[in-house]
Amino acid sequence: MTTMPGRPAFPDEPFPTDRLRPTSRPAPAHFSPAISVRDLRKSYGRTEVLRGVTFDVTPSEVLCVLGPSGSGKSTMLKCLNLLEKPTAGSIVVGDVTLTDPDVDIDAARTRIGMVFQHFNLFGHLTALDNVTLALRHVKRIPKAEAEQIGRAQLERLGLGQLAGHRPANLSGGQQQRVAIARSLAMRPEVMLFDEATSALDPELVKEVLAVMRELAGSGMTMVVVTHEIGFAREAADRVIFMDEGLIAEDGEARALLDDPPSARFREFLAQVL
Amino acid sequence: MHDFFHTFFDWSEIAGVLPSLLGEGLRNTLLIAVLAILFGLSGGMLLAVLLLSRKRLVRLPARIYVDVFRGLPAIVTVSLIGLGLPAAGIRPFGRSPLGYAVVAVGLISAAYCAEIFRAGIQAVPAGQMQAGRSLGMSYLKTMRLVIVPQGVRNVLPALTGQFIVDVKESSLVYLLGLGAGQRELYFIAQERQAASYNASALVAAGLCYLAITIPLTYLVNWLDRRMREGRPVRSGAEDLRPEPALAEG
Repeated sequence: MTTMPGRPAFPDEPFPTDRLRPTSRPAPAHFSPAISVRDLRKSYGRTEVLRGVTFDVTPSEVLCVLGPSGSGKSTMLKCLNLLEKPTAGSIVVGDVTLTDPDVDIDAARTRIGMVFQHFNLFGHLTALDNVTLALRHVKRIPKAEAEQIGRAQLERLGLGQLAGHRPANLSGGQQQRVAIARSLAMRPEVMLFDEATSALDPELVKEVLAVMRELAGSGMTMVVVTHEIGFAREAADRVIFMDEGLIAEDGEARALLDDPPSARFREFLAQVL
Repeated sequence: MHDFFHTFFDWSEIAGVLPSLLGEGLRNTLLIAVLAILFGLSGGMLLAVLLLSRKRLVRLPARIYVDVFRGLPAIVTVSLIGLGLPAAGIRPFGRSPLGYAVVAVGLISAAYCAEIFRAGIQAVPAGQMQAGRSLGMSYLKTMRLVIVPQGVRNVLPALTGQFIVDVKESSLVYLLGLGAGQRELYFIAQERQAASYNASALVAAGLCYLAITIPLTYLVNWLDRRMREGRPVRSGAEDLRPEPALAEG
């Protein structure tokens, strides 16, 4: 784990990397930003997808990222755990500088949960094994204990009955909730959602949004790329509107959505709503 | 017509050769085939992972290996290994030709298995690797725990074909000359045929090969079904039951 010098991560906790902080207790406000992104750039060949993105996310903050397709919001999110490698700029999550070439990225990723548009559950494993795989093989938690954590996590998301089911035997909404349980079981400090409800049938969107809303209320730091304006309005503290690889708007969620300051953002909102 | 039937189905010929076919022959054929299959599977998996590497320098040797061993006639490879190596003073298996046959058939099998595994692994959606990495698993750990298990499931039926080829190619060990106790199915039958000028022993050997290869197909199919199905779906009723989102905050 790469630690920034002179910046104790969690001064009141003896084992900061594996702390079991209940998510209901928000981190104290004097902490450094949970996520700090500076002049993030990403190019594919000659196409510049991200053209200098800068923002902070404070601990326990819920940030929704809106924007038309191709605006770079998904690419930006995938940079936050280095699934996409930035071309330039810096990203700090917690006390780890991800863009440091010597970063232990696998260790850093255990602290950053990610939920994908297509769930990406491990198809050969049961719901429970999906949740326990990384607990056992990354955190080296013994099988019995990992399964206890896994069952509790599934239970918490209303999936207790489905622990033994394979993903193919679950509905989209159930799969996505298992995916969220899989991430939460690692006790991440930050959760990233990449259009988590876009691949769901309309009637299944609700159950996933409910889980995300609960999570937001519990003090989890979240970055949510979404088209769900309703969710952004209710659950987000802040909204970023991305357009053509840049942040076009950045402000308090309700204020920004109720009174969109620019014509471009107004136009976008009119299209999604 | 009687002569024709007699040449292939002389019951006394078959009865005479059957004890050595079922004893010595079957044992040695299975020995070569099973070891060659295991050799091929492990070598093939290693080669497949190398073939999928992003580094050209890692891919290239694996690519060359696969192209060479898939491109050579099996009879040439078996001769090169089984006759060539001992002649060059490399005799890890002493005078027993069986070990050389295992290596030769296994080397060929590894080349084919590599391509089968590579195809299966590439068919696993990219999101699986992303999900594994996002949970903090390394590339190799994700490969081992997530990608490869699913890739192998994709190609089990295709592997059956390769297992059958391996069983059949075990017969090429006859080229190396077999002593007492080392003879496999084909060698025994062919000796008998040469002595009696009657093909019935070869028919019997053929039936022995089929007795291995046909059940093998069904065994793998059964395994494939069992892995694919997992646990049975429960009644759909619980899907309709309203579920609490987060039981506790």
